[in-house]
Amino acid sequence: MTAVDIKPKRRGSNRPMWDEEPSLVGKSLKSLFLIAYAAAIVVPLWAIVATSFASEEALNRAGGNLLLLPTDLSLAAYHEIFSGGALTDSLLLTIILTVGGTAFSMVLTVCGAYALSRTSSLLHRPILMLVLFTFLFGPGMYPSFLVVQKLGLFNDYLSLILPVALSGFNLIVLRAFFMNTIPGELLDAARIDGAGEFRILLTIVLPMSKAILAVVALFYAVGYWNIYFSAVLYTPGLETQPIQVVLQRMLMSTQGLPESAAGAAQYQPQGEAAPTAALKMAVVVCTVIPIVIMYPFIQKHFTKAVITGAIKG
Amino acid sequence: MTGRHPDARVVKRKRTAAQRLRHDWPLLVLALPVVAQLAIFFYWPSAWNIIAFMDYSPHRPFWENPFVGFAWFQRLFADPYFVPALLNTLKFAAAQLLLLFPLSIILALVMHSVVSTKVRSTFQSIVYLPYFFSWVLVVTVFVQVLGADGLVSNWLMSLGGDRMTFTSNPDTFLLLAWMQWAWKDAGWGMIIFLAALASINPSLYEASAVDGANRWRRMWHVTLPGIRPVIILLLILQIGGILSVGFEQYQLQRQAVGYQATEVLDTYVYYRSVIGTEGASFGTAAGLFKGVIGLILILAANKVAHRLGEQGIYQKS
Repeated sequence: MTAVDIKPKRRGSNRPMWDEEPSLVGKSLKSLFLIAYAAAIVVPLWAIVATSFASEEALNRAGGNLLLLPTDLSLAAYHEIFSGGALTDSLLLTIILTVGGTAFSMVLTVCGAYALSRTSSLLHRPILMLVLFTFLFGPGMYPSFLVVQKLGLFNDYLSLILPVALSGFNLIVLRAFFMNTIPGELLDAARIDGAGEFRILLTIVLPMSKAILAVVALFYAVGYWNIYFSAVLYTPGLETQPIQVVLQRMLMSTQGLPESAAGAAQYQPQGEAAPTAALKMAVVVCTVIPIVIMYPFIQKHFTKAVITGAIKG
Repeated sequence: MTGRHPDARVVKRKRTAAQRLRHDWPLLVLALPVVAQLAIFFYWPSAWNIIAFMDYSPHRPFWENPFVGFAWFQRLFADPYFVPALLNTLKFAAAQLLLLFPLSIILALVMHSVVSTKVRSTFQSIVYLPYFFSWVLVVTVFVQVLGADGLVSNWLMSLGGDRMTFTSNPDTFLLLAWMQWAWKDAGWGMIIFLAALASINPSLYEASAVDGANRWRRMWHVTLPGIRPVIILLLILQIGGILSVGFEQYQLQRQAVGYQATEVLDTYVYYRSVIGTEGASFGTAAGLFKGVIGLILILAANKVAHRLGEQGIYQKS
């Protein structure tokens, strides 16, 4: 080590000593690949944001439905979304579903993960097997639909939360974290001091798991925010639909294609004027913004917390 | 070390169920909501699969529905729309496996070889972001950019070209679907492989470099063996999910592209049975076929992985 370290490193590079500098061709191909990939993601998103602020005239002049550079900015589209109409209702509904659903999911997952993190307890193995089997088999769309009907939840907003409230994957990840990261001695000590399981969970385990709890909650939240399929299946008759369904209806209404599928009729908007490109893109921006806000946090803790838990645990 | 009696394990085993219940009841109370949730929304619907073997009608008491054996499955295989839906499903699953999987690995390898942490974290953030977007959003973005009135189409027309039909062309739908996976899901695969790459001991690279291995040989002899368990784990999960390619991506583009190109098993069950004219038993039979094949495939793939000396998704017990 000492003998090699004398050779001066190029400034700003943390390439290890033994690694040879790649060739110029290799380097530029690599950069090209990465830049093209990133551009394919960033440019459309930029165009969507730009279009959402464009005025009707600017869009007509451009003759398309996406602009790369908005010339005269207008907030008309956002004004329409937040002016208290159907779009406002839909956004409010989606926010309530996301917050309520995430809270319910977290209670289920935390309780289950803690109970199953104690491998010596009564019925531990059978209950764990009940969870793990959900990874191998799916009950199927029609039987799930039947059960929702039998419970009287068809066309009820609860059917958007209850059937999908528990993710076995999240439970197992959280359980692995509880088992591997929280020192058993600490829990033993608390038990000797006379603390019950509920108290241990609330005062020791949860405060020590804040980061992973936040990541699991964000995963649930993204799931609820993106709800589309459940709404198509379980609540097709309700007036106010989650924002993804509304966005899909707006998209369909401007594609102007003949109906090719039985059953698609119910998703056609009823005789309303086609939304302007700016309004459509403003709705897209509204569905993206919560994700972009949550994203840095998921990014920061995800690899550390979830991947290591899932792969090593 | 923890001050336990040397016979602690023996003593534990001697406790009766009643003693354990008295000791463990708080844990059982905590597990109860999860058990109830699974019982109502997983095992109850799973049990309803029995109607795939009955002539079920919701208008009569359950036990008066006659058992008909495999009649619904026979009807399923005789249905002219079922086999195309099954073949489409297999086609999309194979395309995902053959194209998306290597793409995720290549992305991870390229990203891993970038030395600057700043560049790396920026690109990582960008490529991973669309994984959290809904399919509605992804399809909207594709229609806006590559659709008939989209960005690219307008640009081509201003150069004197024709209007693009890419997002409504059934012949190129597989390519479109693949671009959508690459856009939405490749970042997720990349993150997993990057985590696996980060767990490889750097001294292995150093040792092989000192022994004269160039970067390609290092990739072949250090990197790929290092991420092999993760590759195999994801491969098993992919094979198990081969009949579950999803619903939303295909349902959302059904109207534009047509049902022939986009019909997969899930959309088949939905359009033929849930909102179609076929009854509950027919739709349940189609779903059960999918579920059972998936179960068999995942267990078989796991067995093969064990034979090959890999850990697979669960330990051999």
